[in-house]
Amino acid sequence: MSTEKIQELIEKYNAQQADPTEMKLIEKLIEEGLIDIAELQGLQEMEDQLVRMDPPQPSLKLDDTFYHMLAEEKRKGRGFSWKAFFAWPEFAPRLAFASVTLLLGLTAGFFLRAPQPQKDQEIGVLTKEVSDLKEMMMLSLLEKESATDRLKAVSLSEDMGQASQKVTSALLQTLNHDDNVNVRLAALDALKPYSKDSKVREELIRSISKQDSPLVQISLAELMVEMQAKSSVKELEKILHNENTPTDVKKKIRESIAVII
Amino acid sequence: MEALTDNALMLKVKDNDLDKLGLLFERYKRPLYGFFYGMNKDADLSEDLVQNVFLRILKYRYLFRGEGDFRTWMYHIARNVNHDHFRKNKLKAKDSLEQWQERLGSDENRSTEYQKDEELQLLSMAMDRLPDDKREILLLSKFQDKKYKEIGEILGCSEGAVKVKVFRALQDLKAVYKELEKHM
Repeated sequence: MSTEKIQELIEKYNAQQADPTEMKLIEKLIEEGLIDIAELQGLQEMEDQLVRMDPPQPSLKLDDTFYHMLAEEKRKGRGFSWKAFFAWPEFAPRLAFASVTLLLGLTAGFFLRAPQPQKDQEIGVLTKEVSDLKEMMMLSLLEKESATDRLKAVSLSEDMGQASQKVTSALLQTLNHDDNVNVRLAALDALKPYSKDSKVREELIRSISKQDSPLVQISLAELMVEMQAKSSVKELEKILHNENTPTDVKKKIRESIAVII
Repeated sequence: MEALTDNALMLKVKDNDLDKLGLLFERYKRPLYGFFYGMNKDADLSEDLVQNVFLRILKYRYLFRGEGDFRTWMYHIARNVNHDHFRKNKLKAKDSLEQWQERLGSDENRSTEYQKDEELQLLSMAMDRLPDDKREILLLSKFQDKKYKEIGEILGCSEGAVKVKVFRALQDLKAVYKELEKHM
């Protein structure tokens, strides 16, 4: 539609001469944005007057009820709820705080814990006390009259791992002087692990001539072979020369000497 | 504080800074009250409805995305509050004579109190005689500063359709106004 035609329509409306069809057309043109309401007489004034009309003022009661409602809502908001607690924006700083506190705790714990060497020392002291106790028990058992007790004492020394000099000398004493052959044999067995010790080695060699039991003699001879103790030959020969030595023993000792040399 | 736009304030309210709702209330309590009062001419009821609008804003604050205009969103809620109230009170809406007298009484009071100008008084009376939908579109146009596009968003129709509705409502208003003028 041409501008002139639109202008014509507007003028007709303003002269209050527009018929229903033309009114429909005006509405259509308003909808399409081709006619502005401001161009139509009387309507713009009406609308402007409407805007000028002061809105009434609400009473103070409205303010009261609103701020009361707001305070109530804020109070409710402060109440604890798990959902709100884990809601991400609020939860992030809490999580960060908890992590930092945990890390601080761990660090403090790391630096404040009891120094390790001291603990090791304590354990060392305790272990030593236990082995001392075992040693004392073993020594006292060795002096018992019962062969069983003395055997027990010898086997106890085997449990000790690294025995002290006191223990080895007690075992050597048993080997040389115990009345019971089984106890002496057990003592010899217990001494085997310490045969590398020069002092024990020397005493073992010296012990050969002191033995009168064929079983102990043969065991000692075997040990000498194991130890490859050349210095033991002289002592072994002493047994050979002894008249009381049984023939079987002599034969075994000769074999041993042959191996050692 | 003036620098803070309605949307910025409402986004703060959404983030649970509820005090900011107080600022929005101060900005809009009067236009909202004017809208409701223009619709029902009942001072107490209008105050209740304004209160309801802010209650709903609080309740549904998480739905505000900040993309659209806050005022448009608020009037959308206001319209719903108004409709819900009259739907619930359909039976009560069949007013008794007593209620009418009360209404007219308060109308006169309000008129003398706020509209000293005789023309404006006449206009207010003409408005009261318009059907609800026409009165509503004119009130929305007034309180939304003639932003037809936004009114269209509130009513769920196009900007052009709003213009036609405003045109028809203004035509009717003009006619009623002229009629009232004759009798004065």
